[in-house]
Amino acid sequence: MERGEAAKRRGGGGGGHGGKKRCRSSEEGVEEREGGAGDPALRGWPSSEGREQIQLLEETLDEFTENRSDDLVVSLYQMDLDRALFLLRSYLRIRLQKIENYMVHISKTNLWNRLSEQEQRFAKRCIEIMEKHLEQSVLSRLPYGYQSMLKQSISSEEDDMVPEPQLDTFVFCKTKSDVGAFQLDDTGEEIVDLVADDLYVLRYKSIRGLVDGGRIDLV
Amino acid sequence: MLSYYDIDDILLGEEPISVVFQIGANGVGLLDPGSETNNVEKSAKVDLPFWLAHELFLRQAVSINVPSCYSLKTRKEIQADAACVDLRFRSPYFYELGCKLLPLVADKSIGPFLRYTFTSRYKEILCKSHSITGATPKFSSKLTKEESLLLEAARSSMVAFKKWRVGGSRLEKASILGRKRKPTMPTQPSGP
Amino acid sequence: MAGQSNPHLSIFSAPEVEFLAEDEVVEIVPNIKMDAVNMICGDFGPFFPQIATKVPLWLAVALKKRGKCSIRPPEWMFVERLTHVLEAERESPREFQPLPFHYVEMSKLLLDNAHEDIPDIYMVRSLIEDIRDVRFHKVETGLETISGRTHAVKLKNLSAMEVNIVRPFMVRALQAFYKHDSPEMIQQPESTVNRRAQVVDRGPRNIFVTVTGLNMILSVVAKSRDAFVVNNASFGAAAAAVSTTVMNCSL
Repeated sequence: MERGEAAKRRGGGGGGHGGKKRCRSSEEGVEEREGGAGDPALRGWPSSEGREQIQLLEETLDEFTENRSDDLVVSLYQMDLDRALFLLRSYLRIRLQKIENYMVHISKTNLWNRLSEQEQRFAKRCIEIMEKHLEQSVLSRLPYGYQSMLKQSISSEEDDMVPEPQLDTFVFCKTKSDVGAFQLDDTGEEIVDLVADDLYVLRYKSIRGLVDGGRIDLV
Repeated sequence: MLSYYDIDDILLGEEPISVVFQIGANGVGLLDPGSETNNVEKSAKVDLPFWLAHELFLRQAVSINVPSCYSLKTRKEIQADAACVDLRFRSPYFYELGCKLLPLVADKSIGPFLRYTFTSRYKEILCKSHSITGATPKFSSKLTKEESLLLEAARSSMVAFKKWRVGGSRLEKASILGRKRKPTMPTQPSGP
Repeated sequence: MAGQSNPHLSIFSAPEVEFLAEDEVVEIVPNIKMDAVNMICGDFGPFFPQIATKVPLWLAVALKKRGKCSIRPPEWMFVERLTHVLEAERESPREFQPLPFHYVEMSKLLLDNAHEDIPDIYMVRSLIEDIRDVRFHKVETGLETISGRTHAVKLKNLSAMEVNIVRPFMVRALQAFYKHDSPEMIQQPESTVNRRAQVVDRGPRNIFVTVTGLNMILSVVAKSRDAFVVNNASFGAAAAAVSTTVMNCSL
């Protein structure tokens, strides 16, 4: 039986590195989630490709169903799709959660560029709604000088009411390859030899560069 | 930087602190229940919430007395049997308050004292933490906020694991997730 | 539910860790003929009766549930091997034996879904339980030895589920020690304290002795480049060598 156009496209082009893609998005999911305790949005928006993959799989599934293929095969593809969607949703939710928690902070820093277009729209709307809410319920009733959503009072030099992610925390991480002697504090007193494929608990602040550079995975 | 909206930070600000006024203050008699005028006299000893004491200290209007939970008596009790001392009763924010007071008072031994207290009680918390039956309500009720969060972190994580191990519900699908998505809106992210 | 686990308690829920484990590859022996499948997670098959092939665990379980295959337990899931691992775990209190990163979840999935494919299933189940208990006990013993500011802990061979269980406590504990054993908190006492501190070295924070006038704790932070982390690649040692030793002594 003809396996369908979409399946062929997948088999030919995308199938080979399909596995990698899943792995990658799964890792990202992991990292983003771990980042809940760490960075508000660790990675740039990754996955227009992932989306294509899913669309392709949905097409395949449709074709199978129309062609009345073997029920077993259809159900396996359905499961694969469900798993991918589950992961993607989980990943999106974590990002949305971080955006909700730290929207103002994100909008003020270069983290903003790591959001997808839709996420930027979401964040903007969130901020607007929060502003309006605080304005109507509290701020408009306060005396002049205390009406800012960002500053406690007019004498505050910086925005001291903006929640920021707590980066000064410990994370569990796994080294991908040998990193070698690595400095953990500012003074250079604490040095650890990071060996490939070992599990460590380290301070996020000190290894942030390694995480961004993809040399170490958060678990 | 602590979050402005952190509820524990806000509650900590309410902890009463005994201060001595270094200057006379007019018009704030309500701060001193013993005052017969509307003023607080110089050298008057008054209990203020921590946030106010802190602000006045920065303006050199008051000096701060070390609260009794860091007193010699408490220290001796901690030394005798750290885990038995009811620290929550003394101050649920024993550690946090101590950290904030340290720069404001002359007695720098609070720092090492906090560390000693935490280290000694940590062992006790640890050995009760990952076993579900371990921590009796009597024990938990003596813990400060920070300590009970630590205990609870371990306990709930173990409970969740045990629940998973004996079966329990596998990831359940919300009904909306089972629905097939329309191909017209393939890029719509799911809402929170 | 995805993304709805409380981020403050644990980053993953146990079922989510299980989900990740389902991508691990196992060997199955199909009893049907089926063409290759091109999944998002990779290409598998084609499948022929009695010819072993490798698939992700979730696919294996799905086929197994429909009676289309038997699953070959991974080589570490046999009694002999597990007995050996358990002995080794007991004999070496300072390190964890190498087991698959997802051994807890994989064994549960296989024991639950493929019981007739696993020889000596009761034995296997109880051995894995014992191994997990011994290992977790080691984790606790390690945690016990943390007594001061620690920059790094090495936990070679600790598995995903074990990490997930201990993470909430460990992160909090390390943070607390980091805060309470900071140079800002443990500064040299000033002259208001009746005994003067003997400051050995004011520069680096690694060596200093603090004497508090009241409770007489002598705290020594050992100066050692490696002291804060395990030298011989095990948690026990890491914890034992944790940088700060607090001794109680009367001066």
